[in-house]
Amino acid sequence: MNIQKAFMEVFAHTSYIALASVLAVFAFVFAVWFPNLGLIRDIFTISSAPLAAKLKITFSLLGGIGTNFSTLSASYTIAIAILFGINIAMIVYLLRKKRTQLASNTLATGLGGIGSGALGIGCATCGSFLLMTILSSLGAASVLSLLPLAGGEFGILSVILLVLSLALISRKITEPLMCKT
Amino acid sequence: MQEEIDKKDFLEDGPKTVKTNSLAIPLAIVGAGLLIGLAIFGSNLIAAKNQTGLAGNVAGNENTEQQVLFENLENLEPISDADHVRGNPDAPVKIVEYSDLECPFCKRFHSTMQQAMQEYGDKIVWVYRHFPLDSIHSKARTEAVAAECAGELAGNDAFWKYVDRFFELTPSNNQTDINTVLPQIAGEIGLNETQFVSCLTSGKYDDHVQENLDNAIATGGRGTPWSIVIAPNGKKFPLSGAQPYESVKQLIEIALQEK
Repeated sequence: MNIQKAFMEVFAHTSYIALASVLAVFAFVFAVWFPNLGLIRDIFTISSAPLAAKLKITFSLLGGIGTNFSTLSASYTIAIAILFGINIAMIVYLLRKKRTQLASNTLATGLGGIGSGALGIGCATCGSFLLMTILSSLGAASVLSLLPLAGGEFGILSVILLVLSLALISRKITEPLMCKT
Repeated sequence: MQEEIDKKDFLEDGPKTVKTNSLAIPLAIVGAGLLIGLAIFGSNLIAAKNQTGLAGNVAGNENTEQQVLFENLENLEPISDADHVRGNPDAPVKIVEYSDLECPFCKRFHSTMQQAMQEYGDKIVWVYRHFPLDSIHSKARTEAVAAECAGELAGNDAFWKYVDRFFELTPSNNQTDINTVLPQIAGEIGLNETQFVSCLTSGKYDDHVQENLDNAIATGGRGTPWSIVIAPNGKKFPLSGAQPYESVKQLIEIALQEK
């Protein structure tokens, strides 16, 4: 209920819809490009191909959401990106309009959600990137095989934390303005 | 009197609140960015220093510092007779793929590469190398050896037939019953099953598979499928994951222009 009320209040302003959308798109594009940042760098630095061809391949890599992600990882990647955008937009609203301090637990939950989302990013290709390499540094790579979703748990955890963060921010936004004793 | 206290509180609290707000916004955004950035940087660093944990030993690899940030494609082992190639060996564009037979994304990318071979014909050559991720796919290494045995017993075409059929038949994610499926495919493609099983248990291709895996990591591979596209002028481009056909096509087109 708080979330709905807070949404109505915050997203009645077009500028906050724009902010949330831009941030969500940025997070989504980053997550999908992440495995191939090296390729994108090389295409724009060492390749002599025309700019149109460079842009074409860069945008075509966004199609990786359909081929390089499982249904589960694609779902939580999109959810994390959207929740990330909404969270930041609502935090900005809260701080600007309500002139209030952001409770440390709200900030911690939001950052926790983003952090675990970062862990979940790139798990799409087999055994790759953040989660695998971090676990391997702890000598615990085989732990992944014990997890029923092979690391997808981190993506789901991230979604839960970001929703929790959203609920905390919403409560703060919808709180009546009053002096506390 | 009360008014004076309120005024005092306002004067004390007002600026404090503004100061906190001005810090909180950038803190949240920068904090999030830092978390992601540090995680990426940290994971690359860790990956380079802990390659054994990811997929096995990297023998004689002294370039870890250079691999920390990005791929080091110059470590690519030159294509040789020990490799399995599909298509024209003298093709202007060469695609070296490091693959894991239990990886569902490798299975998907295999079809993408087959499509590329059909469209580009003699313009590209596909080189298949092994990158079994033991920590999540314990059966992949044995399956890689099985493919090598197929190649030994009946040549390069048999290797490819084996790999094609394996991806067609198996569900990925370590769910293959290797005791049944490996000899079954060997039989289907006309191999002598006794010789095949003997080769499989001999351990003769263990080193070769390990060398492939070491080279995948040395070039910057952190997961599968991991591919390196080599242009006619020798420029190399990394491609990570099962990217859509459109991306592979665009990359081939870009590589073909590099003369």
